[in-house]
Amino acid sequence: MAWTKPKAVEIN
Amino acid sequence: MSNAIPYLPRGVRTHYDRIRGRNVLLGPERALMLDEIGHAIIAELDGKRTETQIAADLATRYGAPVEAVSVDVAEFLTDLADKRLVERRDP
Repeated sequence: MAWTKPKAVEIN
Repeated sequence: MSNAIPYLPRGVRTHYDRIRGRNVLLGPERALMLDEIGHAIIAELDGKRTETQIAADLATRYGAPVEAVSVDVAEFLTDLADKRLVERRDP
């Protein structure tokens, strides 16, 4: 997998 | 790039959510769904290596420019630190 901007999405 | 050592504080851990098929970062009263790169960064937080070292290792593993990886790692960890899900200490 290529490097992409990391994401962390809040679970409400 | 920070020379600090990032780590997960007490009460924060990762968990694989089988329902969603995603890794989740669990903290007190909150949960964040991680993408693959986000989880790769969190998995590197061993409490021993600095952000600089972690970014360099990830850049090598993904064959990406270390400058870009360093910026992304720093922004990602700062965002999580603002949410009190990551802490940093001096080496």
